[in-house]
Amino acid sequence: MAEGQSDKGGHNVIQDVAALATGMRTTLGEFFRPVVTTQYPEEKSPRSERYRGRHYLRRYENGLERCIGCELCAAACPVGCILVIAAENTEEHRVSPGERYAKVYEINMLRCIFCGYCEDACPVQAIVLGPEYEMADVTRERFVFTKEMLLEPNPAEERPLIAGFAAGEPAPTVEGPGMTDQPRPTFDHRLIDTADTVERS
Amino acid sequence: MSVTVPRGTLLVEAAKLVKVEVPVFCYHHKLDPVGACRLCLVEISPGPPKPTTACTTPAAEGMVVKTDTPLAVGARADILEYELVNHPLDCPVCDKGGECPLQDYTFRHGYPTSRIDAPRLHFKKPIPLSEKIALDRERCVLCYRCTRYYDEITWSQELTTDERGVHSYITSQFDQPLKSVFSGNIIDLCPVGALTSRVWRFESRPWDMDHVPSVCSRCAVGCNVTLWKRRHQLVRVTSHENDEIDEGWICDRGRFEYTHVNSPDRLKVPLVAGAEATWEAALTALLEGVQGRKLGIFLPQDITNEELFLLRRLVDGPWQDARVALERRTLLAPPQGETLPIKDLDGCKAIVVIACDTADDVPIVNLRVKKAVSKLGAKLLVVHPGHLDLDRWPDTFHVRPNPGETAEAVRRLIGHELLQEGPVGILYGDGHGAEDVDALTQAVVDLAEAVGGRVMPLYRATNERGALGVRLAGRQEDLEGCDAVILWGPGRPPASARFVAAWDSVPRPEHEGADVVLPSATFAETQGSYTNLEGRVQFLRPVLPVTPPLREGWDVLCELGQRLGMPDMDYLGIFHVQRQASRAVELFAPLADPPAPVPNPTPVLYGPARP
Ligand code: SF4
Ligand code: SF4
Ligand code: SF4
Ligand code: SF4
Ligand code: FES
Repeated sequence: MAEGQSDKGGHNVIQDVAALATGMRTTLGEFFRPVVTTQYPEEKSPRSERYRGRHYLRRYENGLERCIGCELCAAACPVGCILVIAAENTEEHRVSPGERYAKVYEINMLRCIFCGYCEDACPVQAIVLGPEYEMADVTRERFVFTKEMLLEPNPAEERPLIAGFAAGEPAPTVEGPGMTDQPRPTFDHRLIDTADTVERS
Repeated sequence: MSVTVPRGTLLVEAAKLVKVEVPVFCYHHKLDPVGACRLCLVEISPGPPKPTTACTTPAAEGMVVKTDTPLAVGARADILEYELVNHPLDCPVCDKGGECPLQDYTFRHGYPTSRIDAPRLHFKKPIPLSEKIALDRERCVLCYRCTRYYDEITWSQELTTDERGVHSYITSQFDQPLKSVFSGNIIDLCPVGALTSRVWRFESRPWDMDHVPSVCSRCAVGCNVTLWKRRHQLVRVTSHENDEIDEGWICDRGRFEYTHVNSPDRLKVPLVAGAEATWEAALTALLEGVQGRKLGIFLPQDITNEELFLLRRLVDGPWQDARVALERRTLLAPPQGETLPIKDLDGCKAIVVIACDTADDVPIVNLRVKKAVSKLGAKLLVVHPGHLDLDRWPDTFHVRPNPGETAEAVRRLIGHELLQEGPVGILYGDGHGAEDVDALTQAVVDLAEAVGGRVMPLYRATNERGALGVRLAGRQEDLEGCDAVILWGPGRPPASARFVAAWDSVPRPEHEGADVVLPSATFAETQGSYTNLEGRVQFLRPVLPVTPPLREGWDVLCELGQRLGMPDMDYLGIFHVQRQASRAVELFAPLADPPAPVPNPTPVLYGPARP
């Protein structure tokens, strides 16, 4: 049987030409198909809405930080890469609504596995994972993202908090739906807002 | 499961013995039961066909208690639902979150979801009750533990409830700040986050701290405490229940006086003439400075037994003529014969407190006296010129001698009608220098003999008993005339000093211009032990590391000894010092047997007040 095959293959010229034609057809077919290669870094591919990239700390519309320094994200983080040190809001120095805010908020991006547990744990939807993934850098220290680096730009402030982005601009996103226009569950202000408390004492 | 308990044991306590959890808010094992919160409902038979509170029902012969019937389980879940009707549920910003019985019980005994969407009662928050304590009325479950603590334990009624029913709230009497030195315990007692510490406020969550049981360094009672650290900082001190000493209470000094440990001013490097130096250079400068001069050494009250032992060796050897003074010491001599242990106050039928403001000098002994009097029915006699905290008891028999005449007043008590029944406990201090201590002590001993009582000398300085044991407890005045002094702790150099070495954890104004400054480790860092006023040796457990160049006191004393050419000063470690001290000094015999390392912490079920 093996001998017969080899005889056929070796001597049937028509079959050889047909095989060549099939190959050429595939090649030419691909030549006219639309290109799917993305010319990274000039071009970037869209990401899913639920893509988990670099974190952002969000603000309310009035510019107050959402984060209340509760450390629940740090507790949920499976690799322990979040550090939160809380402090108390005062009337003169109000950072977030309610009593407590994060004085220090750091994420070590080298350790982060982008699992999104922190986002799930946050009771006020302050920490969210955005679509940005380009975080290469040259020293390890620069992978410890501080609160200033993580915070959304303050819409109430002239000076943008994240260098390179104008004030009032939404947090940086690449092509595709960004994190700021993702639908988020609405936040129940009764949890931490003390503005409507009945004064009695 | 069946269990046999002493007569009168409450069902909640019996349930603990068989490891069945009966949730409680108002019940606390050191307070009288009131049955206010109804969370502990169980079904008993024989009994009425309705749930009964386990915290007010004593166990009886043949009683069957069911905690898991639909009736009991449902009743407890309903009570928890009621507790949450007005609860703000701000666990993420609440300092109790993570060690909160309300959270834990709701998980274990409550309904999984809430049916409540009505508006909640709101109060202004937080309200400062004192410099140290904040009150959040929204979180309060009205268990009355805090008000009962103030009534029953401290006798000072500083907290009360206002309004009625659902509008009730806790408030301080006449809105005055809390003044008691025992206020901090209500933080541990409160089963929710209604009473929280302002010193620890938002400092850390319970789960990101490590903790070790240790001993309080602030007075001679030697209460057991738990030290909590986060990120190499001592962030909290809570009680660690030891029924032989503190019964789970600590005073505000022990609870809140720890912030110097984390101070950014902490001395870390030795200084010679104001410039940073190595230990090598600093110890050389110190030894040169004291060489040939009349040496005085001032000791901090919380010096450890090991350091005392090493210093004793130095003072026996090369520093023969040195005078030694101890911070805050009383003038009392070491006790002769057997003394009354703190725990035996409970058995006393009469207690005499002489020449000592116990609330100030030995705070937790003060609470033990109050317990013996108000809960166990002991008679209370006080011999003191002033007005004391113990006078809050209406039946206190108070003799007010003129200062200096206390000894005679004590003698006149012999044969007093309140002292007819024993055992009698006689607690005496030194009257803060107003009394002739020898005469007073003799009078106390005579009184004890006459009424068949036992005495308890109330020392003030943390390790005064240890210092007396090695005869190193002089007074500040003894340093007058010394021309070289080593000020270890907050001492003032005498006018005659021409060379001053300060050895402390933080810079102090009185150490201004010292020739040599050595950094010292604090109670949270050092290894060692204290001897409390009853002579009990208790071991410190360091919660913070000693980061070089910081060195522990015993280590520095060993090096000084070696440099002075003493033999056998090259100890292998503190255990070696302890072993030798235990053989050399009778009082330090327990040092031969240091406790095992800290066992793994058990999950906290009832908040930090429980062991
Ligand atoms: S994404 Fe996951 S690993 Fe990264 S910080 Fe959040 S919880 Fe931690
Ligand atoms: S980001 Fe959210 S979970 Fe993390 S500390 Fe802030 S509020 Fe808490
Ligand atoms: S403040 Fe705390 S201890 Fe006092 S009644 Fe309220 S819940 Fe109980
Ligand atoms: S009574 Fe003394 S030992 Fe006890 S906590 Fe207060 S200062 Fe510390
Ligand atoms: S614990 Fe029994 S009624 Fe409160």
